[in-house]
Amino acid sequence: MRLKHMAIIIGVAYGIMAVLPLFVGDIRFIMNIMIMCLIWAVVASCWDVMMGFAGIFSFGQVAFFVMGGYCSGILAIEYHVPPVLSILIAGLFTAGMGVLVGLPCLKLAGPYVALVTFGVHMALQPTLRGEIGLALGTGGSVGLLTIPPISIYGYTFSSTNIVPTFYLTLFVSLTCALIIMFAIKSYWGVAFLALKDSQDFAMSLGISAFKYKLMVFALTSFLTGIIGAYYGHFYGVLSFRMLDLDLFSILMVMMLVGGLGHFPGAILGAFLVVAGSELMAPLGAYRAVTMGALVVILVLALPNGIMGPFLRRLENRSPTG
Amino acid sequence: MFSEDTILLFYEITDVIIAGLSTGSVYALMAVGMTLVYGVTKAFNFAYGDFFNMGGYFAWILIFGIGFQFGGYLAVLVIVLPLMFAVGYGLEKLMIAPLRKRADWENKVMMLTLGLALFLTSLYTVVFGVKMKSLPPILEGTLEVGQLVFGYQDIMIFVMSLGGILLFGWLLNNTRIGMAVKAVAQNPIGAKIVGIPKERIFASTFAISTVMVGFGGILLSQKWFINPMSGGTIMIKAWVVTAFGGMGSIRGGLYAAFIIGMLEAFVGWLFGMSYGIIALFILLLATLALRPQGLMGKGD
Repeated sequence: MRLKHMAIIIGVAYGIMAVLPLFVGDIRFIMNIMIMCLIWAVVASCWDVMMGFAGIFSFGQVAFFVMGGYCSGILAIEYHVPPVLSILIAGLFTAGMGVLVGLPCLKLAGPYVALVTFGVHMALQPTLRGEIGLALGTGGSVGLLTIPPISIYGYTFSSTNIVPTFYLTLFVSLTCALIIMFAIKSYWGVAFLALKDSQDFAMSLGISAFKYKLMVFALTSFLTGIIGAYYGHFYGVLSFRMLDLDLFSILMVMMLVGGLGHFPGAILGAFLVVAGSELMAPLGAYRAVTMGALVVILVLALPNGIMGPFLRRLENRSPTG
Repeated sequence: MFSEDTILLFYEITDVIIAGLSTGSVYALMAVGMTLVYGVTKAFNFAYGDFFNMGGYFAWILIFGIGFQFGGYLAVLVIVLPLMFAVGYGLEKLMIAPLRKRADWENKVMMLTLGLALFLTSLYTVVFGVKMKSLPPILEGTLEVGQLVFGYQDIMIFVMSLGGILLFGWLLNNTRIGMAVKAVAQNPIGAKIVGIPKERIFASTFAISTVMVGFGGILLSQKWFINPMSGGTIMIKAWVVTAFGGMGSIRGGLYAAFIIGMLEAFVGWLFGMSYGIIALFILLLATLALRPQGLMGKGD
């Protein structure tokens, strides 16, 4: 997809989001859902960059999200670091962790990468919950309960003044989306794609697989960590329960609805799925069952996501694009 | 000669070793199933651990839901294992076979089976509740040799899972279908040329691996409990065993399973059960860094 089309889709999606508070600004419930849409859009896009563009089959994105949240929360609670700074530190921390996880994955193929990253996800929960976590200040099985909200120059962004908080979230989310968009369309992005399509050929042209794959890990885990930290400060509580499979499956549905490797698709997918999952709330416990089934059905029936048919039309119009 | 404490410690360590041997044997069963399905079909099954629980739940339904008295575990196995085969065969035909024609299908299969795992996990939670279920031991009582005490249950688990692996190995080497499976694993196109129905072999292999892990589920759920959420952890364990032993090497898988069963038992005894998965993960990373082809695997 061309940069122009990407920019238009992102612009329209975020534009609609930006206008909505004029109509529903005083309904807290809906505003909360919209903030969730914006937050998950970033996580789903990062995951999409990893899987769809770089072709690295990582299942560790939720783990990076939780790491970011915990890191920033612990810094703010235990060491009284101002949230804006702690969010940045959390981003750098998760980027470091991403590189650490990425290093063993560089040499590995397909299922091994998926399993190592899924292993990070599975091992994180006992770590946060057990004595190691308690020593680090994760609150063990209680979790973090008193994460301070973000405040800039004495102005506090919390759920009591939800409309300004919404616009702050919009700003953060849009910034992340634009970073991803330019990364994909830059030299980097082309290098990712080349490595995904044919690693040997790309390397023969002088693209370093080592450097670019680590960069993908660093970039996506940095953004995921930042948004995870932001989530922690917005909600005020964090628990290792986030690592349960519910969130994981919802994120996968977002990515699949958007279509793997069709970048702004993941953002649209996140908006649709968060809203849809709220509509499914009356299903109760069956919601998770539905989400799991949706993943299966989407992989089988809609391989390119909702953007698929739209893209086909674009390609027909301009065969060179 | 030895003090009282040393002797107690010795008995404690013996208990840990027995526990390690019996869980290790089930891991071996699971790892063989996983190696087989990956080696033959190149499809990686993320829902493997949930099939483990499926076996446990089927047995639980038969024993407690229907109140199956007649024949004990023998009857349970006779009913559940063919059922697992049918489930595996059907799922392969319905979900994985259509993906094979697409580009990048290995990754699609991973996403699909992960979705299946999420679906099954939440389905179990909804249907059976979050509370863990327990199965009665296959044989009660203990065997006492001098001062050492062995539970019949541990012995039975060990014997049955080893028996399962041996039976499987015999089938693979001595029957027509087993040789067809090996042929497809070695050269799919060549196998097709000589008239082996590749699609049917793929589906059967997947189904056999489902049977093996379901069998493991029935055996091990007597010692642990059936936990609806545990699918992911079990899948990771089976896979760590497979990777540590070497993908595609059945003998490597056997050794690895016992080593890992022991490691887990000792880590659980020394530090607590929740550290088991962390220890496994560290072992996995070390293996991949130092010897990516695994213990017995052949390098690329």
